[in-house]
Amino acid sequence: MTRVLLRLVLRWETLLIVAIVGGGIWSATLSEFFFTRINLLDLATPYVFIGLLAFGLTFVVIAGEIDISVTSILAVSVVSFAQLLDHGVNVWLATAAGLGVAAALGLVNGLLVGVLNLPSLAVTLGTLAAFQGLAFVILSGEGVAEFPQRYLSIGGGYSKQELPHALVLLVAAAFVLGLLLHATRFGRYLFAIGSNREAAHLSGVPASRVRVTVFVISGLMAGIAGIAYVGFFGSARADAAQGSLLDVVTAVVLGGVNIFGGAGTMVGVFLALILVAVLRNGMQLANVGGDTQNIVIGVLLLAAIAAGNLGRAIQDGSISLARLGIRRRGVIRSDAKEAAIAMSVESQTPKGR
Amino acid sequence: MRRKRLGILSLISLVAVVVLSVGLSAGTSSAGTERAESGKRIFFLPKLIGVNVFTENGKSAKEAARALGETVTYNGPTEAVAAKQVPFIDSAARQGYNAIVISANDPNAVAPALKRAQQRGLKVISYDGDVRKDARTIFVSPPKASDIGAFQVEWLGAQIRYRGEIAILSATPTAANQNTWIKFMKQTLKKRKYRNMKLVKTAYGNDNPTDSAKETQALLRAYPNLKGIIAPTTVGISAAAQVLDQSRRCRRVALTGLGLPNQMRRYVKKGCARRFGLWNERDFGYLATYVASLVLDGKLTGKLGESFRAGRLGTRRVVTSDGNSPVVVLGKPLVFTRANIDKYNF
Amino acid sequence: MIAELRGLKPQQIAAAAFRLREIGLVIALGAAVVFFAIRAPNFLTVGNWQDIARDVAIVVVVAVGETMVVLTRNIDLSVASIVGLSAYISADYLASHPGTALGVAALIAVGVGTVLGFVNGLLVVVARIPAIIATLATLAIYRGLSFQVTAGDQVSAFQLPDRFLDLAASKPLGLPTLAWFAFAVAIAGSAVLRWTRWGRDFYAIGSNPEAARFAGIPVGRRIILAFTICGALSGLGGFLWASRFPNVDAVAATDFELDVITAVVIGGVNVFGGSGTIFGVVLGAVLVATIQDGFTLLRLSEFWKMFFNGAAIVVAVTIDALVTRRLQDALRRRRAEVLAARHAAAPPRPEAAP
Repeated sequence: MTRVLLRLVLRWETLLIVAIVGGGIWSATLSEFFFTRINLLDLATPYVFIGLLAFGLTFVVIAGEIDISVTSILAVSVVSFAQLLDHGVNVWLATAAGLGVAAALGLVNGLLVGVLNLPSLAVTLGTLAAFQGLAFVILSGEGVAEFPQRYLSIGGGYSKQELPHALVLLVAAAFVLGLLLHATRFGRYLFAIGSNREAAHLSGVPASRVRVTVFVISGLMAGIAGIAYVGFFGSARADAAQGSLLDVVTAVVLGGVNIFGGAGTMVGVFLALILVAVLRNGMQLANVGGDTQNIVIGVLLLAAIAAGNLGRAIQDGSISLARLGIRRRGVIRSDAKEAAIAMSVESQTPKGR
Repeated sequence: MRRKRLGILSLISLVAVVVLSVGLSAGTSSAGTERAESGKRIFFLPKLIGVNVFTENGKSAKEAARALGETVTYNGPTEAVAAKQVPFIDSAARQGYNAIVISANDPNAVAPALKRAQQRGLKVISYDGDVRKDARTIFVSPPKASDIGAFQVEWLGAQIRYRGEIAILSATPTAANQNTWIKFMKQTLKKRKYRNMKLVKTAYGNDNPTDSAKETQALLRAYPNLKGIIAPTTVGISAAAQVLDQSRRCRRVALTGLGLPNQMRRYVKKGCARRFGLWNERDFGYLATYVASLVLDGKLTGKLGESFRAGRLGTRRVVTSDGNSPVVVLGKPLVFTRANIDKYNF
Repeated sequence: MIAELRGLKPQQIAAAAFRLREIGLVIALGAAVVFFAIRAPNFLTVGNWQDIARDVAIVVVVAVGETMVVLTRNIDLSVASIVGLSAYISADYLASHPGTALGVAALIAVGVGTVLGFVNGLLVVVARIPAIIATLATLAIYRGLSFQVTAGDQVSAFQLPDRFLDLAASKPLGLPTLAWFAFAVAIAGSAVLRWTRWGRDFYAIGSNPEAARFAGIPVGRRIILAFTICGALSGLGGFLWASRFPNVDAVAATDFELDVITAVVIGGVNVFGGSGTIFGVVLGAVLVATIQDGFTLLRLSEFWKMFFNGAAIVVAVTIDALVTRRLQDALRRRRAEVLAARHAAAPPRPEAAP
C-alpha cells in the first residue's frame, strides 16, 4: 500500500500540483486580488491559446522532434481568417479556412521533416520566419478588430458572467488530446519513435507517416489556438502570439515531457500551463511588467531542466567536472572502435540540438 | 525513485529562490503608483511605456492625482500593440480600479476588453489615441486633429518652397489619432497652395526608434528625390532627425512633425528640423486625469456644453471636435523653431 | 587512427562541402546584382553599396560568434538580447560620462556580452540544458534584464557625443567604419578557426562529440568558450548598434537573431555542426543584405523581406541536408571498402586501446 502511495506521490504531476499551490500562495502575497472569485475562475483565460499551442507541440516533442514555428502558424491562420472575414466571407467558413491554412502549414513542416528527413530545429527555425513574413504579407501591419460576437465568445465569452468559455475549451482539448496520446495506437507510435526511431522503424511503425501527422496536429492546434487568441485579445494581427514561444516551450518542458522524446503526459502539460498562468496572473495583478515576468518564466524553465539533469546525474553517479561532455541518450553504441571510426556526419538521430 | 526525489527537491528549492527574489522585488512595482489616503484609483494606460511623451503624461497624471487626493497607477506594454494593452485593462478590472485612462493603439481592438471593464463598473476615459465611442465616456483630445494635420503640412511646405516629393513617417498603422491626422494632411494637400507637393509614401515606424530609423533609411534610398518628411510622432521625428544628421542630409531633406523640444533641440540648432510642433504633454496627462476624476464623481457625464474646472488649467468645456464627441480639447499646438526652443523644458 | 581523425577527416568533409557552397553563394550574389542593377534605380551607386555595407557589418560581427557556437552543434538564440543589453549599457555610460574614450565604451559592451555568453555556456555544458532551450530562456531573461536596467528610460541620440555617432557615419577610404570592424572581426575569426587548436576543435566537436571526447578534446571547456566568444562579439555588435541606432531603448535589436542565423545558415554552416566557414557566412550575409536592399529600392513591401529570410533558411537547410547526405553515403561506402579490405588482408587481432 505504501509503495503504491509513494509511487503516486512522487510522480511529476503531483509535484506540479504542489508547485501550483505554492505558486498560488506566492501570487496571493503579490496581490490581494488574487484569491477573488472572479480572478481565480478567469485565471487561465489569457493563456488558453498558449495551452493549446503547447498541447500540439507536445505531440511533436514526444515523437522526438521540435516545432518552433507554431506561433507563426497561429499568426498566419489568424490573419487569413481576418482577411476572409473582411472580404465578406461567412464567419464560420472563414474560421474553417483559417484552420485549414494552419493544418496546411503544419503539413509543410511535416513533409520537410518527415519525408525529406531534414533536422526539425533548422526547418522550423526557417518556417518560423517564413510563416511570420507570410502573415505580414497577408495583413501588413494593420489589424482587423471587428468580429461577430459569437465568434469572440469562444475565446472571450463567459457563461453566467463567470465561467470562461476558454477554460472549457482548454479542458476539453486536454481531454481529447490526452486520449489521442495515451489511448490510441497512434500515441504509442509516438512514444516508440521518440524513444528510438531505428527500433521503432524496424518494428513496423510507419515512422515517416506518423511524423508528418504530428506536425499537422501541431499546425491544427495552432489554428485552434488562434480562435482562442482572437476571442480574448479582440484583434487579429500579423504579430499575434509573437513572443509567446517561451511560455509554450515552458509549459511543455515543465509538464514533464522529455525534450529528447519518448516520454510525457498531457495532464502534465495541462498542469504546467496552469502553473504558468498562476504565476503570470499574480505578477500581472501586482503590475509587474511582461518583460520582468518573462525573466521569472525563463528562470523557471531553466531550473526545471537543470533540476532534472541534476537528479539524473546524481543517480548515475557521474557528476564529475573532469568529464564535461555532451551526454546523449539513445545513441546506439557499438564498440568504442566503431564509434571512433564512425565518420563525422554519421549519426542522424537528431539528439544533438 | 531516489533521483526523482532529488530532482524534485532541487526543483522546489530553485523555484523557491526565484520566487522569493521576484516576490521581494515585485513589492516595489517598477511602474510606480501614487498612493493617497483614501480616494479613487485610476489606471493610466498609455500606448506604450518607455517613450518620453507618455512618461511625461504619466508624471503629470500623478501630479493631478496628488491635487485631487486620488491614486494613479501608470503602466502599459513595452510595444505599441493593442493586444498587449488588453491584459492591463483586464488586470485593472480585477484589481478593483475605478477608472481607466487609455491611449489606445487600435480603437477597435481594445473595445471588447474595455466594455468588459465597463460592465464591471469601471469608467473609461480615452486620451490621445481614441477608442470606439461605446467603449469610453469622454475623449480628451490634443489640439484639434484638423489643425494638427494642416499645420504640419504648412510647416513642411514652408521649408521646401511648397514643391517636391514628400513622405509621412507615422507610428503604427492602427492608431486612431495617426490615421485622423494623416487624413487631414491629405485633405490639406489637395488645396491649391500645396498642389506641387506630392505624397509618395506613408511609412510606419511603430513608435519604435530602431524601426523608425530603418524606415527613414529605406525612404531615403527608395525615393532619392525626396524633399521632405512629416513625422507626426515624437519617436519618429527624433529617429528621422538622427538619420538625416548622420547621413549629412539635413540640408537636402526637410523634416517636420510632432517632437519633444528636449529631444530635438540639438537637431533644430543644426538646421535639421527647422520647424515642428507639439503641445504641452505635461498638461495632457493632467487634464485627462482631472476629467477621469470628475467623471467618477459624477460631475461630468459627457454631455455637450458641460463645463468644469481642471485645476491649474482653468475652465474647460465638453465639445464636438472634427465630428467626434464628446471631446475635451487641450488647446492649440505649440510651434518650435531655433528661436524659441530654449524656452521649453519637456 | 584517432590522431588522423582529429585534424583531418572533418576538414576533408568540410572542405568538400564548403567549396561547393561558396561557389554557389558567389553565383547567387552575382545573379542578384545583375538582376537588381537592371530593375532597380540607383542600385549600382557607391552610396547604395556603402549602405549595404553598413547593414551587413553588424550582422557579420555577431554572425562570426554565432558560427562558432553552431559549429559545435549548438545554437545561441539570445544574441539579439545580448546586443540590445550591451548597446544600452555602453550608450548609457557614454551619455552619462561624456569624456569617455570610445574604446572604453566598447570594452564595457564586450564585457557585458562576455559575461552573458559565459552564462549561456554554463547552462549548456554544466547544467546540460539543450542549447535551443537554454538560449530561448536567456533570450527572454536578458531582454527582461534590459527592461530592468533601462527602467522605462532610453538613451537619446542627442545625449551621445558626436565622435560616437560618427562611427556609423564616417567612411575611411570609402568603406564605412562599421564595415571595417566587420572585416577585422571576420579575418580574426577565420584565423582562429584555421590556425588555433581550439578553433579546429570546434569542428571536431560538431562533427562527432563522442569521438572528440575520446580524442582527448576538452569538449565542455571548448563549448563554453564558443558561447563566451559569441557573447563577446554580440557585445561588440551592441556597441556598434548603438552608434548606428543611437536612440537606444529596452527593445533595441529585437528579432535581430533572425538576421544573424539567416546569414549563418545560408553561409553554409551546417546546423549539425562540423562544417562551415566565416567566408561563407560573410557571403551569406552580403547576399541577404543585397537582396533586401534591392527589395527596398524596388519599393517592395518590407514584409516580403521577412518571408524571404525564412524561405532562404529552409532552402539552405534542404540543400545542406541533401549535400551532406550524399557525402555521408559516399563516406560510408568508402569506410565499408576500407574495412572489408583490412579484414581480408589480415586475421583479426585484439586492438590496443585507442
